[in-house]
Amino acid sequence: MRNSIRLCAFALAILAAAPAKTCLAQAAPRMPGELAWTIGYDPKTFDPAIVDDQESEQVRYLTAGVLLRFNRLTQKVEPELAETWSVSANGRTLTFRLRLGLQFSDGSSLTARDAAWSIRRVLLPSTHAPVAEEFVSPGEVTVETPDARTVIVHLPKRVVGIGKVFDEIAIEPAGRPSQGRITSGPFFVSDYHRSLYVRLRRNPHFYARDAAGVELPYASGVRLDVLENPEQEIRLFLRGAYDVIDDLPPDYFELLRRKDPSTVRDLGPSLNTEQMWFNQAPDAPIPAWEKAWFRNRAFRIAVSQAVHRADLARIAYEGHATPAYSFISPANSIWYNRSLSAPHTDVAAAKAELAAAGFHLSGSVLEDAAGHTVKFSILTNAGNAARLKMATLIQQDLAALGMQVTVVTMDFPALVERLMHTQDYEACLLGLENVDPDPNTMMNIWLSSSPNHQWDPSEKEPATAWEAEIDRLMNEQAGALMSSERKQAVDRVQQIVADQQPFIYLVYPNVLVAVSPRLQGVQPAVLEPALTWNVEDLRLREAR
Amino acid sequence: MKLRPSAAWLLAVTILAAAIVLARPGASYSHQDRAEPLAAASTLHPAGTDALGRDRLTRVAAALLLSLVGATAAAAVTTLAAAGVGTLAAFAPASIGWPAMLLCDVFLALPWMFLLLMVRSALPLTTSPANSAAITFLVLAALGWPACARAVYRGALSLKRSAWMLHAHAAGLRGRQIVRYVLPNLIPLLLPQFLICVPTFVIAEANLGALGLGIGEPLPSWGGMLLELDNSAMLLQTRWVYFPVALLIAVLLLLEAVAVEA
Repeated sequence: MRNSIRLCAFALAILAAAPAKTCLAQAAPRMPGELAWTIGYDPKTFDPAIVDDQESEQVRYLTAGVLLRFNRLTQKVEPELAETWSVSANGRTLTFRLRLGLQFSDGSSLTARDAAWSIRRVLLPSTHAPVAEEFVSPGEVTVETPDARTVIVHLPKRVVGIGKVFDEIAIEPAGRPSQGRITSGPFFVSDYHRSLYVRLRRNPHFYARDAAGVELPYASGVRLDVLENPEQEIRLFLRGAYDVIDDLPPDYFELLRRKDPSTVRDLGPSLNTEQMWFNQAPDAPIPAWEKAWFRNRAFRIAVSQAVHRADLARIAYEGHATPAYSFISPANSIWYNRSLSAPHTDVAAAKAELAAAGFHLSGSVLEDAAGHTVKFSILTNAGNAARLKMATLIQQDLAALGMQVTVVTMDFPALVERLMHTQDYEACLLGLENVDPDPNTMMNIWLSSSPNHQWDPSEKEPATAWEAEIDRLMNEQAGALMSSERKQAVDRVQQIVADQQPFIYLVYPNVLVAVSPRLQGVQPAVLEPALTWNVEDLRLREAR
Repeated sequence: MKLRPSAAWLLAVTILAAAIVLARPGASYSHQDRAEPLAAASTLHPAGTDALGRDRLTRVAAALLLSLVGATAAAAVTTLAAAGVGTLAAFAPASIGWPAMLLCDVFLALPWMFLLLMVRSALPLTTSPANSAAITFLVLAALGWPACARAVYRGALSLKRSAWMLHAHAAGLRGRQIVRYVLPNLIPLLLPQFLICVPTFVIAEANLGALGLGIGEPLPSWGGMLLELDNSAMLLQTRWVYFPVALLIAVLLLLEAVAVEA
């Protein structure tokens, strides 16, 4: 009997371990007029120049004064600390004119010298600033300050979307980098308790005013609690301890909706995509006939036509995803190709496509012209419930064509090893997170020579004519001076991808958020930070 | 109070019920009723459906039978291997017996979770769900025998030193006759070992499945169904999500009751 009790206790321990990890973090007391929300982990750094993780990026966004701000709602670059800015006709010289009377949060003056110093600092190799890469040749960039309000940046060659790069360069006091303690943005870092919270205070010298001339930001500060547990976050949100929740998983969105429907918002498709692809690498250690299937356009089209994307969105994401047919989401209003023609769900057409390509059914099993049974595995990462559900749904969808599919989950390092090094896989289902709407940031995926060209990485020469055309078009859009030329090239790339299906796009997960009814001024945007991009305009109802 | 007969009967009834559920016309553990994900209990789905609209009762019944068949087979392999190695180590010369027991100790010292991870990641990706189930239980059997072999070794050693064995040797018992006479005397030791191994392997498979390393979809497994409990939002949607774990605990208790009183 003692063994039974021990076993029972063990089973209960499994039960207890199954739900999400508990977290002991407690919300710190809220100061008057202070906004509060959570971050998933401690920011790695408060130095705005070397930010390379999401939570540090959030602190930088809230504290950094920047010359130009990329408006998350309009998706356009707007002047911030710069009153005006211009780009020369050849795209190699940028001129910024600073606003009059700018000050840092400690009251000291902000001049062109500070701006130039901050730009030079991120360009220095010793700083290791991730943003430096976006200048393509950062070592050859020069910065000059003809007067106290003018900054001129000379680029060795034109960089597409250069304005947006300045959204990531915080202007700090020259020679006095302060880890976010002295800033020119709406807030500055006042207090940090590891694993508990980061407290930001209002910058009393921030330049912005509202239409009535009231100094911005409205909020007296922001408290960012370090909290990983979504259940606890939801509980505290419902109690009023937090004002917003960004990036809600679909199941927690539904949980919150049942408790308080007025707080949750589905903002529609995000920029992110979930897709599957077949391994077309010539050196992949898989049978030659499988490579022949995967390189066969008709095979890929048939698979794409057999997938019921609406079911994936409805079942795997509880309806909070949008069927996807392109690498650019409809949320990316500027770059999405609205006249795209892509294969939609049509099982009969898929069967006809396969028959025309020499595949035939032997009983209920699909075979190729040489009699090989069509069976393959779909690899995805363990621990992602939505992806496992999608793979299992696709398994049944493809069974309708006679394909035998096994679903394999693998921990991420093992999966990456197969994708990037051994190439030992047949099909893979993963997602791609896009933080930047500009398709230029996807060059590393579409150029055939890139190691991230997943279906056939690092091609010495484009393996097919359509891959060569994608290479040409992507290079063309990167060098085009007119935005209409860029748009035309990117539209054509979208159409080629839809015609060839090297990636079979499945869904765009929706952006799901929660906003406290007490919070005013929120203008939700699809781009991150979805709810706090206009943090200076946010205030609690009872605040001034 | 003797629990064993009642536990054995209850276990038999549970297995029979699971078999009947699976034999129902139209019962399928993999069919996705996409119009009914996470449905409540109904006449069509007596225990509701899972997140993909698959009948939960059928999946639980299939997982129960699969798990019991796999764990029983693995326990049999383990017990036989343990009987062989333990007896050999006890009766063979020290030059064989000592390395055999050393091998046991080495196996016991292996980080088995790491080994399982390695074995699973080395399997061909196209391994069918049925084969992945067989391999999972085979690996559990391969890793489970040393502890059992140690117990058998002790038992066989005491048999070797027993008075009747000395008499038998004196009466001319030959080496090959040892197996014939000794093994039946080890059955009281082997049977509990076998019965203890069954629930151990059931729970081991459930743990592996909960880590995403067990039996592949769409074949149901305890571990795969326990994964549903990792989502507290789902726990609030339907209480039937607790059904697999409740049945798993009940079956484990019954197996333990049978094993303890053996």
